[in-house]
Amino acid sequence: MSLIATGRNLMIQLYNVCMSYQKDATALTDFTLKVPKGDFLYLTGPSGAGKSTLLKLLYGAEKPTRGQILMNGMNITRMRSWRVPFLRRKLGIVFQDFKLIHSRTLFENVAFPLEVQGRKRFEVSNKVYQALKHVGLQGKLHRFPLQLSGGEQQRAAIARALVTDPLILLADEPTGNLDDDVACDIMELFKGANARGTTVLLATHDREMIRRYPRRVVSLDKGRLVDDHSP
Amino acid sequence: MLQSIGYFVRRVGRNLRQTPVICSAAIGTVAVALMIMAFFIIVVVNVQQVARQWSREIQVVAYFDKVPGEDKVDRWRDNLEGMKEVERVDFVSREEAFRRFKKRLGDDGDLLDGVGSDFLPASLEVVLHEASRNKTGVETVVRRLQQIPGLEDVSYEPDWLERFDAFVNLLKLAGFVFGGFLLFAALFIVSNTIKLTLYARREEIEIMSLVGGTPLFIKMPFLLEGALQGIVGGVFALIGVWAIFALVLQEGLYGVLMVTGADSILFLSAWQQGGILVCGLLLGLTGSLLSLRKFVRI
Repeated sequence: MSLIATGRNLMIQLYNVCMSYQKDATALTDFTLKVPKGDFLYLTGPSGAGKSTLLKLLYGAEKPTRGQILMNGMNITRMRSWRVPFLRRKLGIVFQDFKLIHSRTLFENVAFPLEVQGRKRFEVSNKVYQALKHVGLQGKLHRFPLQLSGGEQQRAAIARALVTDPLILLADEPTGNLDDDVACDIMELFKGANARGTTVLLATHDREMIRRYPRRVVSLDKGRLVDDHSP
Repeated sequence: MLQSIGYFVRRVGRNLRQTPVICSAAIGTVAVALMIMAFFIIVVVNVQQVARQWSREIQVVAYFDKVPGEDKVDRWRDNLEGMKEVERVDFVSREEAFRRFKKRLGDDGDLLDGVGSDFLPASLEVVLHEASRNKTGVETVVRRLQQIPGLEDVSYEPDWLERFDAFVNLLKLAGFVFGGFLLFAALFIVSNTIKLTLYARREEIEIMSLVGGTPLFIKMPFLLEGALQGIVGGVFALIGVWAIFALVLQEGLYGVLMVTGADSILFLSAWQQGGILVCGLLLGLTGSLLSLRKFVRI
């Protein structure tokens, strides 16, 4: 970490977080982590290590069995369910399987988070165009996701995640389905978002990617933090 | 606010265009369910009409020992007409009773030749309001009549009244049970059909939730869609039921109910037609709401 982490400049704080789906199936055990604002970190570990569970806890899809989670100074552990959508509006989320709506054009897919926030139509058009231009898809506004390659679909998903200028970008194996060259393009987009001040958490088990784009690495195994180092 | 409404309307329009087959299935299901209900209502309305005609026969007649003076009759009439059960009180003089009897005998009227026109007693005929044409209403009036001095007899046929009451109660019970069952079955089918439309869009619902859509924002287009499908289903049901009524049902029901004294066969009143549309709207809304509970989880 390049800066000294104090409460004020921390974007994400997890304290002794435990998460179990069933009595004897523990996904996270006594997990503590601090992520400063503007940080870029990899969450890595084998399948079943708890990376996806950690991301789910961060975007409020699950609640921890024990422990505290603070996002931008707000304790989300006991957050009422009606407030979860407002937390998610400050996040951008990218998935391995893109999660684009196949019956909607790229423009409509990227416009979704802005429409949810009740933004005005001209503002939506403007921002969506800029976001798609940023990922190099401005010429394919009216294409449907299945008319695009995997890399283009993931770029569209990233445009959707970034169109609201989120504080935090969460990505779950975003390059898992893509070949190396395309994965590098995607990583450049994450780097760019991070350079503009967005805190990025990227779950991956792609060692080659971590070597090529060295950043802070948090390793998990069987739900425990086993390593946390910066290059 | 207006912007949100505009957004929801656009989304409903787009959803309907994108899944026309499933939407048509939902509309068809609502239409069929409401048509069955409408047929049932037509049958009940017409049987009730027959019952109402029968109930016109329900009246109480009080016979006088001696013919009372005009002022007394007026006093009793005012007294009885002040009761909430009573619609009208007619005084039938001895002569009037004789004239009616003779008319009823028709061609055999000459049997009464040589009989004095004052051999029948004078009477008060009490006609009850429709709502009081039952055993309780009749007994209340009879109790009041029995307080009048000089009455020889009060006629009101208690056995027939009991049977009529039992018939009306059975009709109401059957209406509630069968109608309730039909509504429940319709709701179940409609809710499952709408579940199909939601299942086709579960991905969209999940993504809306992930990008920060509130439950109300996610549900609103589906609720509006359900309501619209319900109303359109209701309109189709009314058109269908009217066509079948005009072509087949009117004659068929008349054939069955004519023997019981029905004058004509009634279609649904404007209120009942409005009720069918409201029922469609509620079916669509409730069906969507029940299905959405399962699909929209934050």
